[in-house]
Amino acid sequence: MTLARRTATPIAAPPAADAARTLAFLADLSQAFAVSLDLRKTLPEAITRVADFMQAEGASLFLLDPATQVLECRICVGPVDMTGVRLAIGQGVVGLAVAENATQLVTDAATDARVWRAGDEGSGFTTESLLCAPLGTASGPIGAIELVNRRDGRAFGAEDAEMLRLIAAPTALAINNARMANDLVEQQRMKREFDLARRLQKSLLPKRRRGLFPVLGVNLPAHEISGDFYDYFELADGRIGFVIGDISGKGLDAALLMIRAASLLRWAGKDGIAPGAWLARANEELCETTHDGRFVCALVGYCDRDANRVHFAGAGFPPVLVYRRGAFTEFASGGPPLGIMAGIAFDEHTVDLNGGALYAFSDGATDVRSAEGKRLGSAGVRELIGRHATAAPEARLRALLQDLKHLKLVDDTTLLLIEKPRAHDAQVLLEYHMPARAEYLREMRTALRKLLDQLGIEPALRDRLVLAVDEACTNIIRHAYGGESDGGIGLRVSRAEDVLSFELTDDAPCVDPARMRPKPLGECRAGGLGIALIDTVMDTWHVEPASVRCGNRLILRKRIEDKGYT
Amino acid sequence: MSGIVNETYDGIVLIRLSGEVDLSWSQQVRQAVLAALEKHPAVGVELSQVSYIDSSGIAALVEGFQSARARGSRFALVAISDAVRAVLELARLDRVFLIVADPGAVAEG
Repeated sequence: MTLARRTATPIAAPPAADAARTLAFLADLSQAFAVSLDLRKTLPEAITRVADFMQAEGASLFLLDPATQVLECRICVGPVDMTGVRLAIGQGVVGLAVAENATQLVTDAATDARVWRAGDEGSGFTTESLLCAPLGTASGPIGAIELVNRRDGRAFGAEDAEMLRLIAAPTALAINNARMANDLVEQQRMKREFDLARRLQKSLLPKRRRGLFPVLGVNLPAHEISGDFYDYFELADGRIGFVIGDISGKGLDAALLMIRAASLLRWAGKDGIAPGAWLARANEELCETTHDGRFVCALVGYCDRDANRVHFAGAGFPPVLVYRRGAFTEFASGGPPLGIMAGIAFDEHTVDLNGGALYAFSDGATDVRSAEGKRLGSAGVRELIGRHATAAPEARLRALLQDLKHLKLVDDTTLLLIEKPRAHDAQVLLEYHMPARAEYLREMRTALRKLLDQLGIEPALRDRLVLAVDEACTNIIRHAYGGESDGGIGLRVSRAEDVLSFELTDDAPCVDPARMRPKPLGECRAGGLGIALIDTVMDTWHVEPASVRCGNRLILRKRIEDKGYT
Repeated sequence: MSGIVNETYDGIVLIRLSGEVDLSWSQQVRQAVLAALEKHPAVGVELSQVSYIDSSGIAALVEGFQSARARGSRFALVAISDAVRAVLELARLDRVFLIVADPGAVAEG
């Protein structure tokens, strides 16, 4: 031990002739490393040359696995093959060289406690003298070079130790460079593969149909590539097939399985077979070919063009929600995920929508977390759907996504919406602008009351709607603009089918929607009554940013009695 | 016409409001109600001629109610119009206030 310490201190330079020879050798070695970054080619050759130059019977190279912190012999030349031998840091002469980041010199192996002797046993070889230098880098040793026995029978000396220390430097540098280069190449290769997978995934999603179409899908990836997918297609008999799926796990493997599963599910549903049989067919195929523990959650089915009736089956997919006139019905999955066990049957559901809407969410939606880390859950998703129920389908999905984005997205989120397509072109009934000042409220109320009378809305409802819009304006004047201001308020009243929308826009700084919460009514308090009144009068309301920079859009909606609506 | 008229009536102060009570003058309503409660043990707010009232107007009445309760004074809404009743019901405050049909009842029961 004391000997090793001594050898690590500076020693006298080798004689001049030796110095020239050493320099020449180091230059050759560095050049050999510089020629190729392929360590599998350069390292064995280099170690052989080191053994020859140092006149050693054997030489070996140990590399440290950064993950396991185990030293493994990767290259070995000489009478005993040490390749594959594994040592802990601190174990044996090699382990000590790395642990202490110092050259170890053993002149009498038979008596030196540092020597790990298992290597000699049964080999007929006797270790007499050892010399080991760590491969040092800026971030610590990455391995060591060890020499065994001088060919002339003498023990290694201090000069040999200094020489090996010099040789270790370019070797460590070469290995480090090659590793970094490999990492870079690996990163570039992975990026190319990710790009390709992403393009493939995008190309698999169906194009949005123009005109009236009952199925609408949207995918919001949490990461660069997504494990979610959806698809819809028309069958010859006029039915529309739909698929929504979610691959377990993340990353490239999941993305590639998604591409396969999406194609497979589309193929399996092309014949128009029953949804249960459709899933069973895809399951058989996936079970035969997927063995890495990954699986696919999916929902498949058909609907007619008017989405009167939906026929579907789920495989490990979150429950389907049907929303009709303010009430939810839930339909659980009909079987386990695909790709786990062959020979499974999947239960089917048939639902008459009757003007309702069917929502299928990948589990990403319920996994969305609030700022406090709380899961949104099924109840949270229901609340979001209820909040936006009166918006047209496209706008509704956008609003749902907007809300999900506001919350923290932890998983891919995919939504599929099925409902009777309607001409949702909103008819604008009133465009009104007013300065954001209290003395102009009365005029606005008069204009709005007149419009609602023209629409034939009965007086009690009319007065409540006027009150709610007035409260919204009051709120904008007091809270968004903060009192007296030169800003304005725009009011736009429109009607789509039996839903009246009141859109209020301002140019005030963006408000925090979380602060606009209705307080319970009936409480004898002077504050917070306005929002509570809006909440009571309207079916839904929400606030969103009007543009990227500033301004708010407050949207209030109310379903009104319509004789044409059943 | 919107307005506030104060009158004394059989030992009570009666504040008569008329027109549309909204953000533009609800602060004046609030001050009138609180000022009256400072000087008199019984205050009524007459609302028969009010055709509209918003939450800021309701808030002024709520403050009057709270101030009267703290002082042990009497405070009542008098002869409320249908428009006022509709908003009070919507806000579920119709059972919170003492609501009387005529000014004479403010000091009673």
